[in-house]
Amino acid sequence: MSLDLTKIATQASAMVARLKEGRAERQQRLHYARQIFGDEAIDLDKLRKKIAASRTTWLVAELTDGLAKRYPAPPIPADFNVIATDGSHIDVDRHRATRCYLINIGAVTLSYGDEPDAVLDSTPHLYAEDEDLVIKPSAATGREQMVEGTLLGIKRAVEECRHLSLLAGEQLPGSTTLALLDGTLILWGLEAYPDFVAEIMLGQGFLTCLEEIKKLNRDRRVALASYISFPRSTDVVNVLRVAICPHEVSDCDRFCPPPENRDCEGVAGVTDRELFMDALEPGERSALFISPSKITKERYGEHRIYFCYLRLEEEVARVEVPRWVAENAELIDIVHSLVLDQCRRGHGYPVALSEAHEQAVVTGADRAEFWQFVESLYVEEKIPTLTSAKSFSKRTRWV
Amino acid sequence: MRLINSSLADRVGEIIEASTADFVAQCYELYELPPLGSLVKTKNGELDIYGIVCHATTGSLEPGRRPIARGRDEESEEAIYQSSPQLSKLLRSEFSTLVVGHKTGDSINQYLPPNPARIHGFVYQCPPDEIREFGRSLGFLTLLVNTNLPVAKEEIIPAALRLMSQAQEDSHSFLVAAGKELAVMLGGQYNQLKAILGRLK
Repeated sequence: MSLDLTKIATQASAMVARLKEGRAERQQRLHYARQIFGDEAIDLDKLRKKIAASRTTWLVAELTDGLAKRYPAPPIPADFNVIATDGSHIDVDRHRATRCYLINIGAVTLSYGDEPDAVLDSTPHLYAEDEDLVIKPSAATGREQMVEGTLLGIKRAVEECRHLSLLAGEQLPGSTTLALLDGTLILWGLEAYPDFVAEIMLGQGFLTCLEEIKKLNRDRRVALASYISFPRSTDVVNVLRVAICPHEVSDCDRFCPPPENRDCEGVAGVTDRELFMDALEPGERSALFISPSKITKERYGEHRIYFCYLRLEEEVARVEVPRWVAENAELIDIVHSLVLDQCRRGHGYPVALSEAHEQAVVTGADRAEFWQFVESLYVEEKIPTLTSAKSFSKRTRWV
Repeated sequence: MRLINSSLADRVGEIIEASTADFVAQCYELYELPPLGSLVKTKNGELDIYGIVCHATTGSLEPGRRPIARGRDEESEEAIYQSSPQLSKLLRSEFSTLVVGHKTGDSINQYLPPNPARIHGFVYQCPPDEIREFGRSLGFLTLLVNTNLPVAKEEIIPAALRLMSQAQEDSHSFLVAAGKELAVMLGGQYNQLKAILGRLK
């Protein structure tokens, strides 16, 4: 039976009515946030120190070169390349006869200028070996982690970055390249796993790839960035919360334990995106901020993640870069001008990322075909294929 | 070595659909289609299969992705492809051909081959001497007249004959002979015959 829409019609109407009611209040909060954001009386040094000393329940961005600074788009280089990767996967299915998963990486190289060219490619990889299926601690302590679900998503992010570093290595010395990933550079999901998993995924994976890309900058320019469309983060709005906080040192648990009314609630619910939509002109980027996430602070080292917001015609995007890009004026200009250029060419979204996605995408039909193919190989080899009754029931529906 | 190069230069595409009566080929380069009515060939083992190009399309490689207008701010059509270099990889040109004969050993037969062409078979443009050899007989006209084609016969038949006549030593007498042959085949269809002959000039 398909979803009965008539039965949720009333609930949906109530949801829309609630949204409408809350709109005026949201507008008021946004207005207040804009006021604080644009307040020139704020002493940045003092605010910086206050952020460093604060003990808040939410994440507060660290400031680099100001709060409300804005930068116009730098000129676009004459010849440049844009490389991007994106991935898709088929997760382990415990109802199937075999444990395995597949990661498909879409990779794109676009060259602009005198000799325009494009290379579009995808690389699927099947993982079925014991060492692929679990992550083991090197010491005797710690429990093995099965690579599936969230952890597979993280592994996919590492593979995307690995392919990107390979593409970056193929760029000619002296060339200018923007290397783009989709989404965040912060592997948030790792916070839920034991240390040895983070060490393997980051230390031996993601960060090694970032290091490879960084090293390439000796004889060419490779500016690495990730692009987040329609971001929901509030790291910068949380800076305003600290600015509003009447206490010398913000300490949420001590001064404002629930249900205490907090002054900073005046900007609650406002996102960074809404704030910068107004504060930036199309084409401009915000100041750079440093991500306060625990994992980047503790583990990313010289690849610590910085971010800025970029105002496009219709939306505000969040662009994340590692520290070595943020601290190199030439590289950050490449990120700014070329991400903007990619969005312009892609009608609002970087064309290299959307093509990488198109290359990577694994559809429901592909998934079904994949499993059928695997099972047909089992049959050929006369190996019994045991599947769960639940899976069989889903595939053969009867009345 | 020279032979390999010349055959590579004549290669116009690769078969992506094949049946007894026709095959569809994708071009290696966007828009580099063989002309309508031209004679092409492909190999299936020892068999050379001849076809006449009767339809061509250019569109998105993926059925779900339609091209969109991109040139509002561009000065030329070429500039669109330069500023979006991925386009040439996402679009494809393909052409359909009607099978009009085959060659086994040294003899050319202008009727359907025992087996259809193969998928991924290379398609070559026939060189003038081969077209001349093929044009010695006009039996292929029966296939062109009696098969349902994606484009009107009044267009394909004259296009094929015009191109074929260019490879002949005496193109005028070739066209006269073809006209006579068609007059017999289309004896009862005066208007169609008239339209075809009118386009042979």
